[in-house]
Amino acid sequence: MEVKAFLGGINVPHYKSFSEKQEIKEIKLPQQIIIPLSQHIGAPCQPLVREGDRVKAGQKIGDSDSFVSAPVHASLSGTVSSIEDKKIHSGEKVQCIVIDVDKKQESIEYADNDLEKVSKEDIVKAVKEAGIVGMGGAAFPTAVKIQPPPDKPVDALILNGCECEPYLTCDHRIMLEKAEELLQGVKLLQKVLDVKKAYICIEDNKMDAISELSEKNDDPGIVIMKTPTKYPQGAEKQLIKATLDREVPPGGLPFDVGALVQNVGTAVAVYEAVKYNKPLLERVVTVTGQNIAEPGNIMVKIGTPLEHLLNECGGIKEEPAKVVMGGPMTGVAQEDLEVPVVKAITGITVLPPAMAFGELEYMECVRCGKCVEDCPMLLYPNQISIYGEAGMYEQAEKWNTMDCIECGICAYVCPAQRPIVKFVQQAKPQIQNLQNSRNNT
Amino acid sequence: MNDKKKLVVSSAPHLRDKGTVGNAMRDVFIALIPVSLVSIYFFHWYAAITIGVCLLTAVLTEVLFRKMLKKEPTLHDWSALLTGLFVALLFPATTPWWKAAIATFIAVGIAKELMGGLGRNRFNPALFGRVALIILAPLISFIDNQFAALYINLGTVDVMTQATPLAMLHQGMEMPGYGELFFAFPGGALGETSPFFLLIGAAYLFYKGHIGWRIPVSILGTVVVLTLLLGENPLHHLLVGSLALGAFFMATDWVTSPFTNRGKVIFGIAIGALVILFRVGLAPTEGVAFGILIMNGFVPMIENATTRYQFGRVRKAVAVTSGEE
Repeated sequence: MEVKAFLGGINVPHYKSFSEKQEIKEIKLPQQIIIPLSQHIGAPCQPLVREGDRVKAGQKIGDSDSFVSAPVHASLSGTVSSIEDKKIHSGEKVQCIVIDVDKKQESIEYADNDLEKVSKEDIVKAVKEAGIVGMGGAAFPTAVKIQPPPDKPVDALILNGCECEPYLTCDHRIMLEKAEELLQGVKLLQKVLDVKKAYICIEDNKMDAISELSEKNDDPGIVIMKTPTKYPQGAEKQLIKATLDREVPPGGLPFDVGALVQNVGTAVAVYEAVKYNKPLLERVVTVTGQNIAEPGNIMVKIGTPLEHLLNECGGIKEEPAKVVMGGPMTGVAQEDLEVPVVKAITGITVLPPAMAFGELEYMECVRCGKCVEDCPMLLYPNQISIYGEAGMYEQAEKWNTMDCIECGICAYVCPAQRPIVKFVQQAKPQIQNLQNSRNNT
Repeated sequence: MNDKKKLVVSSAPHLRDKGTVGNAMRDVFIALIPVSLVSIYFFHWYAAITIGVCLLTAVLTEVLFRKMLKKEPTLHDWSALLTGLFVALLFPATTPWWKAAIATFIAVGIAKELMGGLGRNRFNPALFGRVALIILAPLISFIDNQFAALYINLGTVDVMTQATPLAMLHQGMEMPGYGELFFAFPGGALGETSPFFLLIGAAYLFYKGHIGWRIPVSILGTVVVLTLLLGENPLHHLLVGSLALGAFFMATDWVTSPFTNRGKVIFGIAIGALVILFRVGLAPTEGVAFGILIMNGFVPMIENATTRYQFGRVRKAVAVTSGEE
């Protein structure tokens, strides 16, 4: 099935060849893991263990009473060495449980449930207990997402296998190597949401994944959709527009147009949680870029320090390098390598010296309109950047800064090298404050 | 393995397109080289000196003003050189060199740098400089009378004394053939000598993605429609004067044209209408310059009136089907 296009968007170089043919593999276990108690959108967890406690792999070590939250688990067995605030990849300091990993691993016992017999409640409970969050990068708790408000019926489930970010191939490999699990996971999501129609959307630069899934799929309720390769095809709102021709209203959620989007990796995690009661304690991470010795798609234990992961992939080839957590369009460049891999990390992109630029010197906006032409949210990034830079946040609000999805296209195309995304990120909390104070009076 | 790695950080995105303002300006400069060569072919040293003086004045003016404003010179962005070349192309070869220099000084110094620099100038600097000389006519004729020594005599070039095609058109004289007017015809400003070579330059800029179709097409389309309505010859109007230079190179200036798509069309239609108003109804010269400059002033208003809806401002209700499709 073909799709409609969304407006805006650009073609960026793919750079997928470093890792797209590499099978998912395991690496040597790290000596220490760092489990942040907040790896998701919502309330942070409270620790369930104390310093000195022994924990098994898969044991829940942090949880919260809040509805919007997701528990965290020990990904390996060992001894809790400390519970302290540590910097994570976003630059924030978050309470973390540090575990010294055992040489001989000990795991919790897994179940083997009959998927025919599970009820909706069982699925929600399993997903909640497993601590599953959106694994495409957003990290929204999946258990919350699969319980849409009763007044917002969902009639279409979209599985996001676009992987439009350059370099990344983890979703591609999951679709190739875990097609059965993915399709089972989709069926479980359909069941819990009571949705008859599911679309698995894949960009047409991954034809092998499209044919693999088409071959394995025997359910007429699941449609394998080929989408054009165009950035940001995998952005939630753009994907809904392309698949269903529905536009999520400003400030709205996919529920508002009867849609729900899940990353393909999340669907596999849902399957494993429901089938085996397996918590989200590992994920596929693409370690890639011109500047990593052995690029690959690695099954990484949550909490693995970045440095260990890079060393297991042959290490950084040349310095100065830029190490980006996530893809190069939206990822965060890291100052040091002690930060842990968390649930929402899709990849590590290691860029060579020639591509490792710092903050660029930029000029005044020359009003070329390239960002306006390409903005997939149909905003005016030029105006947002001008008002954001000047600290004129009321004006920035009027130009719909809050609708920005921070895909990075505007800054990518800007001939004046303006850091437009940075201006947006600075403006958003200020505008939020303005809106809050307005609501309070 | 414990030594700290040298890591570079910056805000996202970590990939950037190769296009920079400097590259784009340089491309526009390159696109104007063919027509500049045609003018030098026709007018010899007169054209070459006008161009050279304008380029030199542009560079010196930018350095001077940016020093005064305590800013770093930004010659690498090519904008000063480009403005200089534009000013040169707006003058006929008979123009004394110091007039072209004054226009360039005003263009780069006042219309660009004093307005806040590249990106903040509301009016096309080159056109502003050109038109300023018309407004400053008393001052110009004063200098003219006092400093006759400023003239350089380079000998005569026959073609320089003949009437310009625009004047011929205005006076109802017999026009040169279409082919001649299109490919190369001496007369008028340096940038009016060859619509053909301007089109080649414009095609290059279009290919490079620096200019779009909306502004030139709406200007030229409006000119055609209006001339037909007025019973004039549209081809003559398309081929004479600085219409091609204006429509493809000056009205499309990033800084001084609207960034909205519908705004570009409105901007172009208005310029086309003004050009015809000036040419048919008023003075026969500089209609293009005045038309573009006037519309430059309306750009913020046009932009405000033509902004699009952001994504998701749904104009029709979404029908959520329950289950079956």
